[in-house]
Amino acid sequence: MNDFVYKWRNPIFGSVSVVLFFLGWEALLTWAIPLNPFIMSKPSLIFEGLWLEMQSGQLWSDLLISGQPFIFGFGAAIVVGIFVGTMMGWRARVGYALDPLLTALYASPLVAIAPLVIIFFGVGVSGKAILIFVLCVFPFVFNTYAGVKSVDRLLVNVVRSLGGNERDIYLKVIVPSVLPFIIAGARYAIGRALVGILVGEFFAATAGIGYRIAWFSDMFELSRMFGYILVMMVVAVLFTEGIRWAERAAFPWRVGM
Amino acid sequence: MVAYIEAKNVNLIFTPPNRMPVTALKDFNISVGEGEFVSIVGPSGCGKSTFLNVLLGLIPPHSGEMAINGKRVSGPGQDRAMVFQEFGLLPWRTVLNNVELGLELKGVATSERRPVSQKFIEMVGLAGFEGHYPHELSGGMKQRVGLARALATDPDVLLMDEPFAALDAQTRDIMQAELLRIWQEAKKTVLFVTHQIEEAVYLSDRVIVMTKRPGRAKKIIDIPLPRPRDYEMRVTQEFNDLKLQLWNELKDELTVHGNG
Amino acid sequence: MNDTTSTAVSPVPASAAPVRDEGLGEITRRTFWEANERHALGIGFIVFVLLLWEVIPHILTLSRGMDLFFTTPTQVAMTLYNMFASGEIWPAFKFSAVAFSVGLGLSIVAALPLGVIIGRSHTMNAMLDPFITAFNATPRLVFLPIILVWFGIGMWSVVVVVFIGAVFPLLINTYAGVRNADRLLINVVRSFGASEWQINKLVILPNSMPFIIAGLRLAIGRAILGIVVAEFFGGSSEGIGVMMNDAAGKFQVDIVFAGLVIFMALSLVMVGGVKVLEARLSRWRPENVKSF
Ligand SMILES: Nc1ncnc2c1ncn2[C@@H]1O[C@H](COP(=O)(O)OP(=O)(O)OP(=O)(O)O)[C@@H](O)[C@H]1O
Ligand SMILES: [Mg+2]
Repeated sequence: MNDFVYKWRNPIFGSVSVVLFFLGWEALLTWAIPLNPFIMSKPSLIFEGLWLEMQSGQLWSDLLISGQPFIFGFGAAIVVGIFVGTMMGWRARVGYALDPLLTALYASPLVAIAPLVIIFFGVGVSGKAILIFVLCVFPFVFNTYAGVKSVDRLLVNVVRSLGGNERDIYLKVIVPSVLPFIIAGARYAIGRALVGILVGEFFAATAGIGYRIAWFSDMFELSRMFGYILVMMVVAVLFTEGIRWAERAAFPWRVGM
Repeated sequence: MVAYIEAKNVNLIFTPPNRMPVTALKDFNISVGEGEFVSIVGPSGCGKSTFLNVLLGLIPPHSGEMAINGKRVSGPGQDRAMVFQEFGLLPWRTVLNNVELGLELKGVATSERRPVSQKFIEMVGLAGFEGHYPHELSGGMKQRVGLARALATDPDVLLMDEPFAALDAQTRDIMQAELLRIWQEAKKTVLFVTHQIEEAVYLSDRVIVMTKRPGRAKKIIDIPLPRPRDYEMRVTQEFNDLKLQLWNELKDELTVHGNG
Repeated sequence: MNDTTSTAVSPVPASAAPVRDEGLGEITRRTFWEANERHALGIGFIVFVLLLWEVIPHILTLSRGMDLFFTTPTQVAMTLYNMFASGEIWPAFKFSAVAFSVGLGLSIVAALPLGVIIGRSHTMNAMLDPFITAFNATPRLVFLPIILVWFGIGMWSVVVVVFIGAVFPLLINTYAGVRNADRLLINVVRSFGASEWQINKLVILPNSMPFIIAGLRLAIGRAILGIVVAEFFGGSSEGIGVMMNDAAGKFQVDIVFAGLVIFMALSLVMVGGVKVLEARLSRWRPENVKSF
């Protein structure tokens, strides 16, 4: 019993406080303050609205629509980012040449070119996918670059001296050293991709999670808007914590990178 | 003998979050006279550091009484100072500022604490390193900074947790001699934890042997060697007999499998 | 740097200088290229990209419609120059700068104490962790519509967007730094009689500094992002973001890029400033852990 409490202390405290938060919110707007539906909503209404959206299938179709450009943009960012990052780490001169330019671009708020991208490529999948690509490619580039640079020459020599061939060097040294960096990059990139989806859909869209959030707010349907915000939060947490969990499971030796 | 430091039935259980509780001290009893030099030896993990921490006032015991000079220990006090096993230097402070820490917290003015800390830095052989940061020092040098820091506050009770463990043999000999000199001049009470039987015999009036965890004081051995002690004393028959006696007490407590 | 200061701080005795110059000219020259190859390549590549961009319209004929979307670096530079020379940029610049500073300032004021509290209390940490994790993972942009409902169009909405962007990296890093504080060091200063307040001053704060500064670096990026998105999506009717959005609607591509250059310059300058601060404050750290 004691053992159980020790082990689960943090999750228990966390869940309790989340439940208390929702109960407190509900209670406050039920008994203490009269609810003005044009500026606020409460959990019972939010969950009811969300339930209706699920039943009508609207939520799922919005998720699908937002998911498409995400998959294209993110996939392209992975491929291009890993390629460029590997070249930079592999050939020092490529690294020297690209580093300052890409650093400057990475440091700048690239969402600022969103209006141009959308006007140029249209409000469909391609505009959003390109926006997501532009935002996500940098974490992959820089993390792969750092990962390749961090490969321990000593380990390469050790494997070689033990009779390993090029393949062994790749599979036993280089990939295991670089992969954790790339996955950590994916964790940063996910957040940026979600920003890309929202920006794209806030600007111009006819469906999708971001579009729906903006639309509900224009219609003063705050309960539904909060419901969609909640969905967005759950998706974001699932993605980032999922990657974190995978990192811990796959690379226990580099916890906390 | 009038007890100056007295521990009566001290019990201490660690309850770390998300882990099983660990009993570190069980019915721990000792009594030390004023100005006495007492060493504590015992297997690794038996609770020596824990006991010093309780005496220092950092960890409250779960039951039992701990008193210094008749006053119950209820928290840290400036009559005590510890030389920490893991040094505990503030990495963002230079050697000089680390040594000054205790004086600073006592509220001694900068102009007054400078010469004091300088004196102890010289005593531990670190003159010229005043401006260095801990990461620029070797393990033995860090340990000597910790020693200088504790001595600089001029405490009545000096608690030393394996203070010479990281030193090379020659520096260790010099530091032992310095410690004995300071102890005799300033009449401090010293509690000295060590894993070195020879060191314990050479320095102490009495040696406490602890059992494996949960730690108790198993046996107290008097060291009736005359003072002042010198280096040659270590090759006498009497000295070797004491070492053997201590070893015999200790070896029963040592197990290959640690102390689960 | 002028001559007087450089000689005043030079640790090398003056007499040593001519001796070094004698036979080492060769080596000095070679290491000069070696030391600067990196920068030469980096700057060279940026210049190359800009030149390429500049000459594209001269070698390719852009189709009508396409040329609407095209601008050149010189055009962007001219536009930037005119904006600053005529002073028309200043009201927008001032609006964005004030929103940025107030939002970031508020986030620092809120994050540091809260971070220390959460870092030092297991219970608070366990209870607030789900909220912090969730809000940090979610793009804060998702709250923009509700922020507009609550705060209306204007400065405050932008400030709030900046604030919620910047506060989480600072909060998380502060409490990570506080949590990371070595128990032993806390015990050491406690054993010398330090009060809670002195423990914070002597151990917790210096130990958290590198974390807080890393958080500040992230927070600056998030704050600038916040300015851009808030101003894009109707958080205000002023500011550089509004200027860019309007320009994009009128196909004034050079203005969009001019705005981007301004934001880029601001973030580089500020991140550079933070790096200088970091270097100054981390003299005590061993080289290999200095940057993370
Ligand atoms: N803060 C703590 N939390 C939980 N358990 C602890 C803590 N400090 C010590 N322990 C446990 O208490 C026991 C005694 O530890 P202590 O440090 O006092 O041993 P020690 O005798 O000083 O050993 P050594 O000779 O190796 O320094 C050990 O089993 C250790 O695991
Ligand atoms: Mg110990």
